[in-house]
Amino acid sequence: MRKSLIAVAAAGLTLSLAACSGGTTPGATSSPSGDVSSPAASAPAGSGTVTIWVDETRVETFNTIGEGFTAATGVTLDVVQKPTGDIKTDFIAQAPTGEGPDLIVGAHDWVGDLQANGVIAPVELGDKVSGFNELAIQGFTYDGQLFGVPYAIENIALVRNNGMVSDTPATFDELIAQGKAVEGAQFPIVIQQGDAGDAYHLYPIQTSFGAPVFKTDASGAYTAELGMGGPEGLAFANYLKKLADEKVVSVSLGGDQAKQAFIDQKTPYMITGPWNIADFEAAGIDVSVLAVPSAGGQPSAPFLGVQGVYLSSQSENALVANQFLDYMASKEAQDKLYELGGRTPALTESADAVDDPILAGFAEAGKEGQPMPALPEMGAVWTFWGSAQVSIITGAAAPEAAWTEMIANIESKF
Amino acid sequence: MTAKLANGDNDVRLRGGRWWAQVGWKHVFALLMIVYCVFPLLYVLSASLNPTGTLTGSVNLFSAFTADHYAELMASDFPKWMLNSFIVSTSTAVGTVVMAAAAAYAFSRFRFKGRRGGLTALLIIQMFPQMLAFVAIFLLVLTLGKVFPFLGIGSNITLICVYLGGALGANTFLMYGFFNTIPMEIDEAAQIDGATHAQIFWGIVMRLVTPILAVVGLLSFVGSYGEFILARIILARPENYTLAVGLYVWGSDERNAPWALFAAGAVVAAIPIILLFMYLQKYIVSGLTAGGVKG
Amino acid sequence: MSSTSTETPRRVSHARDFTRPGFYVKLVLMMLVNAFGLYGIMASFGQEKWALLAFLAVTLVVVDFVYFSKRAIPAKYLLPGLIFLILFQVYVMANTAYVAFTNYGDGHNDAKGPAITQIMKTADRRVEGTSTFPVTVLDRNGEIAFAIVEDGEPRIGDAETPLESAGNAVVDGERVVEVPGADVLNLGQIQQRQKEVLDLRVSMTDDPNDGWLRTDNATMAFVAKSLLTYDAQADTFTNQDGKVFHADGERGLFVAEDGSTLTPGWKVVVGFENFQRMFTDSRLSGPFMSSLVWTFAFAILSVLTTFALGLILAVVFNDPRVKGRTFYRAMFILPYAFPGFLAALVWRGLLNRDFGFINQVLLGGVDVNWLGDGNLAKLSIILVNLWLGFPYMFLVTTGALQSIPGELTEAAVVDGAGPLRRFFSITLPLLLVSVAPLLISSFAFNFNNFSLIFMLTGGGPNYPGTPAPIGETDILISMVYAIAFEGGNKQYGLAAAMSITIFFVVGLVSWLGFRQTRKLEEIM
Repeated sequence: MRKSLIAVAAAGLTLSLAACSGGTTPGATSSPSGDVSSPAASAPAGSGTVTIWVDETRVETFNTIGEGFTAATGVTLDVVQKPTGDIKTDFIAQAPTGEGPDLIVGAHDWVGDLQANGVIAPVELGDKVSGFNELAIQGFTYDGQLFGVPYAIENIALVRNNGMVSDTPATFDELIAQGKAVEGAQFPIVIQQGDAGDAYHLYPIQTSFGAPVFKTDASGAYTAELGMGGPEGLAFANYLKKLADEKVVSVSLGGDQAKQAFIDQKTPYMITGPWNIADFEAAGIDVSVLAVPSAGGQPSAPFLGVQGVYLSSQSENALVANQFLDYMASKEAQDKLYELGGRTPALTESADAVDDPILAGFAEAGKEGQPMPALPEMGAVWTFWGSAQVSIITGAAAPEAAWTEMIANIESKF
Repeated sequence: MTAKLANGDNDVRLRGGRWWAQVGWKHVFALLMIVYCVFPLLYVLSASLNPTGTLTGSVNLFSAFTADHYAELMASDFPKWMLNSFIVSTSTAVGTVVMAAAAAYAFSRFRFKGRRGGLTALLIIQMFPQMLAFVAIFLLVLTLGKVFPFLGIGSNITLICVYLGGALGANTFLMYGFFNTIPMEIDEAAQIDGATHAQIFWGIVMRLVTPILAVVGLLSFVGSYGEFILARIILARPENYTLAVGLYVWGSDERNAPWALFAAGAVVAAIPIILLFMYLQKYIVSGLTAGGVKG
Repeated sequence: MSSTSTETPRRVSHARDFTRPGFYVKLVLMMLVNAFGLYGIMASFGQEKWALLAFLAVTLVVVDFVYFSKRAIPAKYLLPGLIFLILFQVYVMANTAYVAFTNYGDGHNDAKGPAITQIMKTADRRVEGTSTFPVTVLDRNGEIAFAIVEDGEPRIGDAETPLESAGNAVVDGERVVEVPGADVLNLGQIQQRQKEVLDLRVSMTDDPNDGWLRTDNATMAFVAKSLLTYDAQADTFTNQDGKVFHADGERGLFVAEDGSTLTPGWKVVVGFENFQRMFTDSRLSGPFMSSLVWTFAFAILSVLTTFALGLILAVVFNDPRVKGRTFYRAMFILPYAFPGFLAALVWRGLLNRDFGFINQVLLGGVDVNWLGDGNLAKLSIILVNLWLGFPYMFLVTTGALQSIPGELTEAAVVDGAGPLRRFFSITLPLLLVSVAPLLISSFAFNFNNFSLIFMLTGGGPNYPGTPAPIGETDILISMVYAIAFEGGNKQYGLAAAMSITIFFVVGLVSWLGFRQTRKLEEIM
């Protein structure tokens, strides 16, 4: 025992020390200013590599896009996989150290936070901007400036199990009545909520009452004025209470439970996004994608989420990174991104070529939609919004009181 | 060692009522505990075998069966992560055991200035909220990596070093308490025989404390095996990930998480811990101390 | 242990006795450590990492002293662990303490220099309505120049000279392809000199109001102008309307008279402001007391329940007559073998009110609002933490149990003590001596057990209508998170100040508890 322990310890130490001294002796004797770069440091300028952070689901896509880019320019795209929830935080923390990536893939509503921290650089697409979906560009525009190249748009819609119902009425109340009449259905429709609420999935219903989160100006851009404060907002709050009383929404129905209910054919309808369609089809369900019927009389308008690529303001390789962004704006790249990612392309020319009925359904449902607001304060807005909806759904507070309280809390943030 | 039992009873065959009163109920208790331990994990197992679906959406467990996800798992980066985890956790466990035991030996066997204060400080330092540790550690590792290239971002050695930063602390205390139960007379006898402090430490004390070495080794192995907050900052790239980081990455995307793959990964990841524990059990309950004291 | 060197009156450590291999092992190790340390000192000098240099130098001196000295024997055993502790743990504490006195966080993410660069970069915008030009990048006598075709006419300019026509340039369609007296740079050359290319601003005309030509990607150039001008002397930005933004060194922002600011700001030391905010923030004072009480209750109950269950299991199955206990023990470790975040996710599903396994199957369809009712949510947290935490206590007590000499319990049996009395009067007190510090450290761990609360309830159910998203199950550290990182707006400075304050609270409590265990130890 004794011998072996000493031997293990000594061997371990010797090995690691030998590794250090062996591997680094040249560095020690070189000039003091000699650059000993860390292995993960981004490549020096001119070597023709740009580093991009992407999340788990997009690694393959961007590896393929990288091949196309290399073929076009000779520059290598180094695709680094990061956890979805960490990309933004880690990027903000690491960019100032100079060790961050040149580019990141992310959602358009990060733009406010990223710009407030000065970690992204403006992007100039020149005349190519006009080739993009206007809303996609609007999403990545902050303070009058474009901060990324969008490539895909997604939004939620009404997904119907065609095996359970074959036609859908024009109003939400009728839809509930229809869903309740379906034999074998436990729910008329599922809308995921969860303990923290989910304002995003309720938003199409809220907008049908004419209560958008912020008012928009003539150009369609958000103003800082809350749009959900007036009687329209209160009308929605009361309607939400009614939905809760009818057990259409419930905090115990989270994303997992809602999805499972649809897969188990316990409900003919679900309000969800394109990310779940593959699993539905794998479960053998024939689905149609439709606009969410209006509950409050006006058209329902879900939030649009735009995916795109941001450029780091600290990139040592900004010119090459810009060349990649230029490539991202090409039809070739956008077609490929669609092929691999299955979301509506942001480039109009590529989007027009898409003839998938499911995606067409989502695009139709998002016709009235606006990109999610990207203000840095939006995080706090989501929290209060979800929390107030939970209070209404659980009955912890009267609908109008909870809503008014929420508006006051949100306004105190501006 | 089976001749004398902890409760003093001799190992005789018990029958009927007496067996139930003294031994039988323990089996019932064990079964109840196993149900408590296992049933939440059935969800994970069920999800890993289900071709579609969600982690917690359904109470109909094992409604469908496929081994595809395990095959998929082996084709992914998972085996690489497992290897990384073994390297990191084994090194951390060995380093922790040696350093904590050495420190416990010093605290238990020597009287020196600042001993009490040092012990208290070790305990208190561990209580510092590590909320901002990820920012600090990242900056530190960047600096270290500039000076010692093998200690930079993306290196297993860096991660092991960071984990060894926690080698003292609770582990030292656990060992310290155990060391204190070994009579000083043993050391003194060895000293008279001419043994040096190093010989006493490596040759005598370390043998007598095998159970606690095994416990600390296991705790340290499991601790580093499951740690992902610092590991994901330091390892940075999927090819360097440990299991915990890899699983965290799979499970972190609420919308697109590959739950089945994630669940399969968690099941496979748990197996080495169980095997390691089964292996270490004989050391943990070896009761060598008693023999040593008597001998 | 017998040794051949008993003849010598003073024992010589084998590491000193050069006839022994121990001596050479030590010598080689020390040589390596010194080589490593000296290399590190030189490299940190080269990299200008002064703090690390100081740390390495001091450490090296201490190491050499400790291991070459005949005295300082305890230090020989403590030093390896201490070096790692100081480097990785004490450093984190020091860094957090420093951050507590700064405004580091969203909006103040970097130093002032990068902030100014970024403000200038975002102010340099394309002039609306102007055209873009395919650009050719040239090297003219070592200087980078741009060549474009405007209205069919080739024009060239560089940093010194505004665009001027270059009649002798060869044009192919929209692009200049050849210029006498200058080299057209290819993609590789441009990449080599990308900084120069990106930084180049070629004035359109002699009038600065006409803007300048620049490019981001070396294929397309556009006309741009800056909305702000920076005066380095006065340290101010002035916009086109003449509004002046002064650098405010106390807030780390460029601020105008009317209060408007430029983004981003920068990191500055703000003194005790974060601590002040913590005590004056009305959003904290409301739920603070109830959260404090719950934090203590949670931490204490977690320790007691996990320890009790772990101890019972350890004692009950420390019985060789129980066949299959190797297997039983392995099963008890299962909760410990799964990643904690996965367990919290699964438990959240199990406890779901309408769809969870516990309500639907175990309790036969009852409607218990486990996570939605304040008291039940607290109970759920304790129960889940019991599941997560008892294997640790089980392991620790199983190990510690082995140190209790058999003679003691045997003696008690002779005295006629029953099993329960034997347990409470002999086993438990002896066990507590070695385990009590762990109970304290487990208390401290649970006091700051942010991840469990965050993953299981997120602090909820929230107090309805409060101006901060704080809930009934929030412990102090998760409350810190809710306030300092509210809605993803990260205020690291405030979070650091709050963590330090919590550290003082839990440290003090633990220190008092630790003093008690010392008494316990002395009694035994």
